[in-house]
Amino acid sequence: MNFRAAVTSLFVLISLCAGAQAQDIEAGKKKAEACVACHGASGNSASGMFPTLAGQNARYLYLQLKDYKEGRRKNPMMSAVAGALEKQDMHDLAAYFAAQKQVHTGFKAEPERIKAGAAKAEESLCAMCHMGGMSGQNEIPRLAGQHPDYVMTQLKNFKARERTNDAGNMTSVAQTLSEEDMTNLAHWISSLY
Amino acid sequence: MALNKMLKTLAATSLLLAGSVYAQEPIAGAGIKPIAMPNFGNVSQSMLDAAGKDSKNWLHPNGSYEQTRYHPAEQINSGNVAKMRPAFVFQTGIVESMETAPLVVNGVMFLTTSYNHVYAINASTGEQYWHYKHKIGPVSTYCCGPNNKGVAISEGKLYMGTLDAKLVALDAKSGKMLWETQIADPELGYSETMAPAVADGKVLIGTNGGEYGVRGFVKAYDANSGKLIWTFHTIPEKGHEGTWAVNDATGRNMHRDIAAEKAALAKNSDFYKTLGGGVWMTPAIDRKTKTAYFVAGNPSPDLYGAERPGDNLYTNSMIAVDLDTGKYKWHFQYIAHDVWDLDAVSPVILTEAKDKSGKMIPVAIHGGKTGHIYVHDRATGNLIRFSEPMVSQEGLWTLPTAKGARMSLGANGGVEWSQMAVNPGLRLAYAANLEQPMTYHVEASGYPGGKLWLGGAFKNAPGEEQFGNVSAVDLDTGKVVWKARTDQPMIGGVLATAGNLVFAGEGNGWFKAYDAKTGKVLWQYQCGAGVNAPATSYTINGKQYIAVAAGGNSQLDFKRGNSVFVFAL
Repeated sequence: MNFRAAVTSLFVLISLCAGAQAQDIEAGKKKAEACVACHGASGNSASGMFPTLAGQNARYLYLQLKDYKEGRRKNPMMSAVAGALEKQDMHDLAAYFAAQKQVHTGFKAEPERIKAGAAKAEESLCAMCHMGGMSGQNEIPRLAGQHPDYVMTQLKNFKARERTNDAGNMTSVAQTLSEEDMTNLAHWISSLY
Repeated sequence: MALNKMLKTLAATSLLLAGSVYAQEPIAGAGIKPIAMPNFGNVSQSMLDAAGKDSKNWLHPNGSYEQTRYHPAEQINSGNVAKMRPAFVFQTGIVESMETAPLVVNGVMFLTTSYNHVYAINASTGEQYWHYKHKIGPVSTYCCGPNNKGVAISEGKLYMGTLDAKLVALDAKSGKMLWETQIADPELGYSETMAPAVADGKVLIGTNGGEYGVRGFVKAYDANSGKLIWTFHTIPEKGHEGTWAVNDATGRNMHRDIAAEKAALAKNSDFYKTLGGGVWMTPAIDRKTKTAYFVAGNPSPDLYGAERPGDNLYTNSMIAVDLDTGKYKWHFQYIAHDVWDLDAVSPVILTEAKDKSGKMIPVAIHGGKTGHIYVHDRATGNLIRFSEPMVSQEGLWTLPTAKGARMSLGANGGVEWSQMAVNPGLRLAYAANLEQPMTYHVEASGYPGGKLWLGGAFKNAPGEEQFGNVSAVDLDTGKVVWKARTDQPMIGGVLATAGNLVFAGEGNGWFKAYDAKTGKVLWQYQCGAGVNAPATSYTINGKQYIAVAAGGNSQLDFKRGNSVFVFAL
């Protein structure tokens, strides 16, 4: 195969992966310019206060934006942001961020915590919904490589019933997780990148 | 050589960019060219009717309309199975759960993978004829992995249910799509992983979705045009509250608060559209009486029962309907108002067994998540007997709590979707069991609009051992005749053959042959990934083969693989 054909087939491969939503992704990129300030370039957040969105499942992103707008999930910043979005905007943004390449957060997970977190995840049957490697599927989020601080905040919010937009599934799971368990899980999840 | 290095880097980069869709596509490479498929003839209705006695082919996902998964060939038998070794391995390139039951027609094998790929290959050499990939739409909702349990075949067509809730018909000779039809709305949680059944020009298919608040059904489509002929809803619009049963089918109290439920029902009884009752596995068909038999899954939400007062008919039931019209004939509910996700899922098998007076009659049997095999009079649904429990049932029917309440019977049950097999001569049914103590957690939750709706969670009971068995149960007495323990809980179907053999695989990669009478392990092979699919068997040019997929399992998180292993003497 000559060089030109190789490069062509590479670009064909990329566009095939982008799929029939190439238009959504382009539109989404424009609309995402406002998101960079918190969520980082291409959705790779530099701070555990804001989740990395790069590589997240499109359906999950879409449903979260929808839930923020419709009040099923509450956050002062995101509720305001989502309030200004139409459904098409949400689809475009979801498609854009889903297509971005996730980078490592730079967090150094501790080996002992990774081991304990893996054991707790097996006991809690996380992979049943979040799939092996915590890669997620459809409306169940990808967790692999996410900021540990953000993961901790969500687990705490689920446990305290401050976040309830998943019909109580995660509240139930989090009821028997101690802060120590959550920390271990967060380290393990971060290490899955 | 610099060019080669550059090409390698480009290829590696393109894989990296492909990111999360990596597992959904085979990495094609330039190497293997598909070869032309020889004319393998047709699969007529009379062939499908006689499939249970056909030692050449494997024409139905579960061997025949009766679904006994009993293959009549005896070339491979308990005397010589120790010599069995791989004839070939077909690698699909899709590294994800495999639950397919490979069909074989006159030397051609049809198999499916996760993400709705279909392959046609030479069943004696493993060479590929064609490959079809379904274009999955933007929304697919599946609770338990992107699996597929296989295609059905009839006249020149293959039929597959897809993750985005479509029914697809393919030309069996070329793999080209002939038609596809939308079965239901995937945004509401409807999805397909089951293998359909085809009879009399009708394709029967159920639905996933009991974890999402769907209204379960079995639908029949015209096999030529894809037009919908009839729908049987597993949830009646009125009357789903039933008779307020306090005990399960085995007579044990389920601790329902009937008064509270009745009060709740009086406030709101109009929730049939989200009550659940998916039909996850292929229906059995009695061709003489023109009856289809299937089992319906759990009510939605799985664990939070207060949301859905009443018996929740016909969830967790065996159901019989007319094959031509879909009209209700009878039902039998195993657990009324289930709050443990212990639904009826392992497919119905039609066979014969002794009734209470000792007379041999046609029966319909089911291996329950509860851990019992139930034997019903096929004409009326009356329960003749239920077997001894195949698994531990400590704390049975302890109600779920916020912090979790333990039962030794886990939410995957004693028998999950795993198809059983029957050796009619030995009077034995064989089931793949799970021993998974779990804690059941409940959380109040209203309908979340097409998202996962469990109403709680279940977890492995901390620090407790988990394992599995293959159990052999006498259908006439209900006794567990033998049990062979396995290291891990089992998921994946069972195959029985006339060679006095039973085949079942495990999550740790071991695929084993058991003596059908005694349960002694006579042969085993390490497939390198979880063997969590039902084996099938066939004969080509006088040589018998055993085929099984080894792709692991997402529900139990067993090591993933991508291959079908085919063995012979």
